[in-house]
Amino acid sequence: MDFSHLKAGPIPYLAWIPLLPLLGALINLTLGRKLSRGTIHVIAIAAVAASCALSIYMVFGPLRQLYVSSPEQAGNIGITQHVYTWIEIGSFKADLAFRLDTLSAVMILIVTFIGTLIHIYSTGYMAHDPRPAAYFGYLNLFTGAMLILVLAANLVVMFIGWEGVGLCSFLLIGFWYEKEEYANAGRKAFVVNRIGDFAFLLGMFLLFWAVKSLDFQDLKNPATAGAAYVKAWGPERLATAAGIFLFIGACGKSAQIPLYVWLPDAMAGPTPVSALIHAATMVTAGVYMIVRLSFLYSASTAAMAIIATVGLLTALAAAFMAFAQTDLKKVLAYSTVSQLGFMFVAAGTGNWVAAIFHLGTHALFKACLFLGAGSVMHGMEHGGSKTPGDITTMGGLRKHMPITRITFLVSCLAIAGIFPFAGFFSKDEILGGAWSVDPPGWIPGYGKVLWAGLLLGALGTAFYMWRLYFLVFSGDERSEEAKHAHESPVSMTGPLVILAFLATIAGAIGLPHLKSPHLPAITHQLASWIEPATAQTWYETKVPIQPAGKANNEGCCCIDGTNNPVGTALTKDGGDMTVGACRELNPPGAPRSALKFTCADHNTKQCAIEKQSDGTTWGLMAIALAIGALGIGLAWMFYGRGPTRTLERLVAGPLAGAYEASKNKLWVDEIYDAIIVRPYRALSRGLLEIVDRFVIDTVAVNGSAFVVGLFGRISRWFQNGQVQRYLTGLVIGAALVFMMSDCKTHATFEFERQGDTIILRAKPGAGVSGSTSTLYWDITGDGEPDPDPANPSKLLTGPEVRLRAGDIHASRVTLIIEDAVTRKTIKITRTLTDESAPEEVHEGSAK
Amino acid sequence: MNDIFWNVGYPHYLVLAAILFLIGTVGVLVRRNALIILMSVELMLNAANMTVLIFARMWGDLSGHTFALMVIAVAAAEAAVGLAIVVAVFRGRRNVDVDRLTTLRH
Amino acid sequence: MRIIALIVMGLLAFGTVGGAVAYAADPPSAVPTAGAERAGKQVNIVKTTPHMDRRESRPSSDNPGTALLFWAFAAATIGGALFVITRRNLIAAVMGMVGSFLGISAVYMMLYAGFLSVVQMLVYAGAIMVLFVFVVMILNRPEDEPVAPSGRAGQALGGIAIVYLVGRLILLLINVRPPRAETAIAAPGPITLNVPGGAPEKVEWGSVKAVGTDLFGPGLFPFEAISILLLVAVVGAIAIARPLHASDEEGTS
Repeated sequence: MDFSHLKAGPIPYLAWIPLLPLLGALINLTLGRKLSRGTIHVIAIAAVAASCALSIYMVFGPLRQLYVSSPEQAGNIGITQHVYTWIEIGSFKADLAFRLDTLSAVMILIVTFIGTLIHIYSTGYMAHDPRPAAYFGYLNLFTGAMLILVLAANLVVMFIGWEGVGLCSFLLIGFWYEKEEYANAGRKAFVVNRIGDFAFLLGMFLLFWAVKSLDFQDLKNPATAGAAYVKAWGPERLATAAGIFLFIGACGKSAQIPLYVWLPDAMAGPTPVSALIHAATMVTAGVYMIVRLSFLYSASTAAMAIIATVGLLTALAAAFMAFAQTDLKKVLAYSTVSQLGFMFVAAGTGNWVAAIFHLGTHALFKACLFLGAGSVMHGMEHGGSKTPGDITTMGGLRKHMPITRITFLVSCLAIAGIFPFAGFFSKDEILGGAWSVDPPGWIPGYGKVLWAGLLLGALGTAFYMWRLYFLVFSGDERSEEAKHAHESPVSMTGPLVILAFLATIAGAIGLPHLKSPHLPAITHQLASWIEPATAQTWYETKVPIQPAGKANNEGCCCIDGTNNPVGTALTKDGGDMTVGACRELNPPGAPRSALKFTCADHNTKQCAIEKQSDGTTWGLMAIALAIGALGIGLAWMFYGRGPTRTLERLVAGPLAGAYEASKNKLWVDEIYDAIIVRPYRALSRGLLEIVDRFVIDTVAVNGSAFVVGLFGRISRWFQNGQVQRYLTGLVIGAALVFMMSDCKTHATFEFERQGDTIILRAKPGAGVSGSTSTLYWDITGDGEPDPDPANPSKLLTGPEVRLRAGDIHASRVTLIIEDAVTRKTIKITRTLTDESAPEEVHEGSAK
Repeated sequence: MNDIFWNVGYPHYLVLAAILFLIGTVGVLVRRNALIILMSVELMLNAANMTVLIFARMWGDLSGHTFALMVIAVAAAEAAVGLAIVVAVFRGRRNVDVDRLTTLRH
Repeated sequence: MRIIALIVMGLLAFGTVGGAVAYAADPPSAVPTAGAERAGKQVNIVKTTPHMDRRESRPSSDNPGTALLFWAFAAATIGGALFVITRRNLIAAVMGMVGSFLGISAVYMMLYAGFLSVVQMLVYAGAIMVLFVFVVMILNRPEDEPVAPSGRAGQALGGIAIVYLVGRLILLLINVRPPRAETAIAAPGPITLNVPGGAPEKVEWGSVKAVGTDLFGPGLFPFEAISILLLVAVVGAIAIARPLHASDEEGTS
């Protein structure tokens, strides 16, 4: 399909999507000081809203049309629009190109929609801030950069967005830079992200080295990339190395162990920023990137195992750290880290759809939670609180902030995984995927371990979220300020309501596939929608089966690299396909190109994920729901009406150690300080003394000045304007020239046989006399110059002579070099029959 | 030693010219008076001239004489201009020490 | 100073008398031989083909008197030159210069360059030195510090360089041999001049006629160029030496 008409002026629509917020940022950042607050709000919101509208048009217009009309293009559905060639150096070519496929479609909808809501919310939240232009400019800039990131058609453009969002994150975390700890938090985020970005770059370089292209389509295309992979390192090895490097980049951006430490500190920024950047969008960039490169990760079980393990550890550790936090936003920050861990487990188990699904629902309910938190803090501030985020001073706010309370409640239900809220479905997808995953190359049953870990994490999630909810809204007010808190303006509660509503119903787009009851197609649209943009599965190549003969009617089965059936196989009507039937379809040893299957039925592509029976699915759902309820119950028990005595006893007694560990965030910051920051500082101090003070200052700077000065002093001695000094130099130079003429080079000659002819070539050497000397040849062995046998009236002379072999007496030739001035002679004699015979050199005076 | 003294040949003349030239060089190098320097230059020119004549004799080529004549003419011109400069300098600053002629320095 | 002048004069006198005696004892050879002619010129100078004898590396005969003469004139030349660079008194330096030039002139004579010898005496020892004497009289100021302070390193380096050059040049030059045995001549024979439209004429080596023929033949263009150079030099010298303003002259005199 041709999409070249989709443009306004020379700029295609896809480029307008990030360009609109960037234009808004440009206006607000350059002219913002002169504009009124209202104008700034209008510009910023209009830019994002326009971008959102355009995104919706592009996704539900052309892209959906393409998706519906060409199902056979599975894996290649997308609109690529090329703006211009950005860099072209030799074989390296980077286009500024954008690609909208089903995966990036989900992302741009999330980014622009939640972005718009948060812009609106910010007009209320930041109503009294002195620098609205900078705030909204940065926010717009962030939106633009994030859209570049998700729409990028190649890794280079993605990296622009990747760095752009990092920059905006830094700017917005440190937005209130008057407070030093806020500015430090911004710096910390920036520095930690740099570590990840460095690894990201390494991964990019590695991929470019192997594939000679960074375009996603090229990387994905087995025709171009496959051969390059194999030629370079082999697909698995390359995928492992590049995958791990890129994953470290994702760790930095998405706050995974060990680079998560910046995210809790990033709560220093304004709360809407935390909602947009540090909960809904930017921190999910790592997940998005991994799903975007799913074809790469599919090739490496090792990289996937690392991702899943890191994700699980992060989910558990962050959940644990959230237990004892007393700051409202800190709890939400650790919750975000923990939920990102869930997403990485999903990505690490090849459950790409679940990762994106959870990304989307999490964006909704976490944005809602953060905005709710902002609303609470806003209210507390108006109540007179100096520490508006301290949950120990809250309680009973349900009376004062009813709308906020309801939306917060909905979001807490969602994140705790309670039916029918969005979080229940997305979390259940992740858990189910982890349960059923069992790839070759992993420890058998590791999927179950992941599942159990995630279940524990889900329990923790439900507990700390509901602890938070009860401490903030339930019971009685624990401070005067809480009594005076009041509800926030409509600009703030409006987005809250919208987000809460969406958090309630969004799960419907990703209902699990069950053979019974048969749900309408719309309810599990998301998986079908995203699937074409991701690798089918990651440890095997699923080949949807084409109707070919009566036995292989529509259906699909999964085979590994050697065409052995793996996992489950489905027939068209949802029944299990036998192993034999699958093997019959894909005879072992048949070349991959012979398996030309396309998907006959769009929906049955799901069979790789549907490896569990309906019973298992129901069971897993029940367990997850029970765990969520258990967490809420525990929270109710301890915090239902404010902190209870039991809790205090436990914390002081048997759980004291765990409580301290959680409160102090497992001392990770202290550990990093001890093992990284301090040695690094010591190293820096050493480098300062040695490299900077000594090598650079003393040796390089002062040293070069000294050398220049020295040469200056030396040349001043010559260039002093005194003619006699110049003449002294002249005389010394003359003496040196004479000295050089003393060093005569070794004189010799060479010979070459060409049949019967012998060619003699003199090498008189360089030097004063060498070039002006006369050369004679003696071929009779008498030590005197001999006449030319061909012309007896002349002497043999010149640097090159040709003789017949018979002319030379006894094969001995003497070269006589006669100095033109002093008439001194040098005679060099060589025996032509013996190459290695030493030269005989005689010096004599004129005859 | 005896032979070197009695058998005077081309090398003797050439060495004489070389020594004369080097004496002139030393004169230019060490003296401060512009006049003496000019005279030393004349010595060097004469040494060169003598060498030209020796080689003319050695190669039996009379054009060396012509060349020497030209050198004498050039030397005369050089002496005239040089002395004029010395006089002009002296008139301006009451001495002709080349060390003190530093106006054009820097 | 006077003693040195006397010594120079004495050496010169000895040389002159001795030279006359030596010349009488061994007059230049008058045996011409045929040689290749330089074609394409109106006036051709045909070099004599010299004797092939054992005196090939000597410019003049090996008469012991000639050797003595050489040493005497060489001593006068070197002595005069040393006098120039060592005297504080400018007049003394000029006088040493005159002595040196006279010695050089005599050496030219020994090289059978009679015309050049006379020119040297007239132009150098006569005209140029008179010019110098005039200037010395104008300046009329002995130096305070005759030797330029050139710094210890400069002196040492320059000294080493000069000493090295002296040694190196001597070592190089004492090995010089005439380029071809055939062209090494003891005493130059007469030169055959091909006069256009007339019979070939024999003239003496180094004589006015021989040099003049060469000068106005192949050397005509340089000769004319030199005349222009001299003109320019004279104009330039006047322009430089002339006082810029009349008041300058009054102020300085």
